[in-house]
Amino acid sequence: MSERRPFHRKQPRTWWAQSPYVAYTVRELSGVAVALYGAILLAGLVCLARGPDAFARYRQIVASEASLLIHLLLFVAVVWHVVTWFQTMPKTIPKLILHGRPVPQARLTAASLVFAAVCSVALLAVVVVVGACS
Amino acid sequence: MSDVMVRSKTIELRILRYRPASDAEPVFATYQVPYSDDMSVLQALQSIKDTQDGSLSFRWSCRMAVCGSCGMMINGDPKLACNTFLRDLAPKAVTIEPLQNFPIERDLVVTVGDFVKKIESIYPYIVPKVAKSIEDGAYLQTPGQMAAYESFADCINCMLCYAACPQFGANPDFIGPGAMALLQRYNGDSRDGGQQRRLDSISDEDGVWSCTAVGICSEVCPKQVDPANAVNQNKTKSAFDFFLRFLRPKAAQ
Repeated sequence: MSERRPFHRKQPRTWWAQSPYVAYTVRELSGVAVALYGAILLAGLVCLARGPDAFARYRQIVASEASLLIHLLLFVAVVWHVVTWFQTMPKTIPKLILHGRPVPQARLTAASLVFAAVCSVALLAVVVVVGACS
Repeated sequence: MSDVMVRSKTIELRILRYRPASDAEPVFATYQVPYSDDMSVLQALQSIKDTQDGSLSFRWSCRMAVCGSCGMMINGDPKLACNTFLRDLAPKAVTIEPLQNFPIERDLVVTVGDFVKKIESIYPYIVPKVAKSIEDGAYLQTPGQMAAYESFADCINCMLCYAACPQFGANPDFIGPGAMALLQRYNGDSRDGGQQRRLDSISDEDGVWSCTAVGICSEVCPKQVDPANAVNQNKTKSAFDFFLRFLRPKAAQ
């Protein structure tokens, strides 16, 4: 009378390219941009260690138009990574209770983004001032 | 006040049917349902069962988003049929399927046995931190201490979060968002002392580490439980537990 024959439906292999998972996929891929930019900086360090000629060549390559375009794209991707990273951050910590109430996650994200922006601007200012003095 | 009087419009429902005795695999069936603006998808299903096809199977109970029985995929999204309204979906045809990532038992009914086992596996009760007799009085808690776990206590076990989780789709043994929400309901309770044994039960590949913080589980949750927070804060705890395990006193290990 009641025949049990559970049917297993497979999850589509391209789930990551479908709504609502695209935002997640883009967030994770923006992490690759962070790694790429790190590799570019590391290459600069290696060239610096090799001597003035190598570093001059590195600077020449970095200042090329293609490199500037790549840097612009990487910058956009890294900014996106920062924003989405801080959107995910409140999920990874216990609820923050202030005056007996949980602090809204959006406020934690906003405060963290402001802090990151202030740190970035301060770092840029230090680089500019040190650059001008040297 | 008969709402039959105002069922002047008709909507098309495409329902994925599966009758294990006769169907080799699930197939879509189409139904035309007269509806009024106050009707939910659940009421449309009940209307089909009452007037068109008595063999249509689906789970439901409370009709007010409390029992968690009527979760299903509505136009591809995991939703409770009782608080999804036809007026928001009309005039397009509505596609209804059983919850994604679960074996289909019959029509819109899925197998829940594994989920129940997962819930049982995480010690879903308070393990008193300090044993007290009745004469010692009640375990007290401040509103702030309660706020630390309150949202996790709102879970209704509807499993929409599991249907939204691609990592559960890839690994059915993953403990998953719902059971982790329940775990955090107890772990976050100031009266509880069972954190270590619960952590030990979810620190492996099928525990929290299957999660990649996709986060859609929290978005589809009808009770704002935020299971993604429950899973991911326990990843942090599991990592700390791994690296600091040598510092723990022997008795606590």
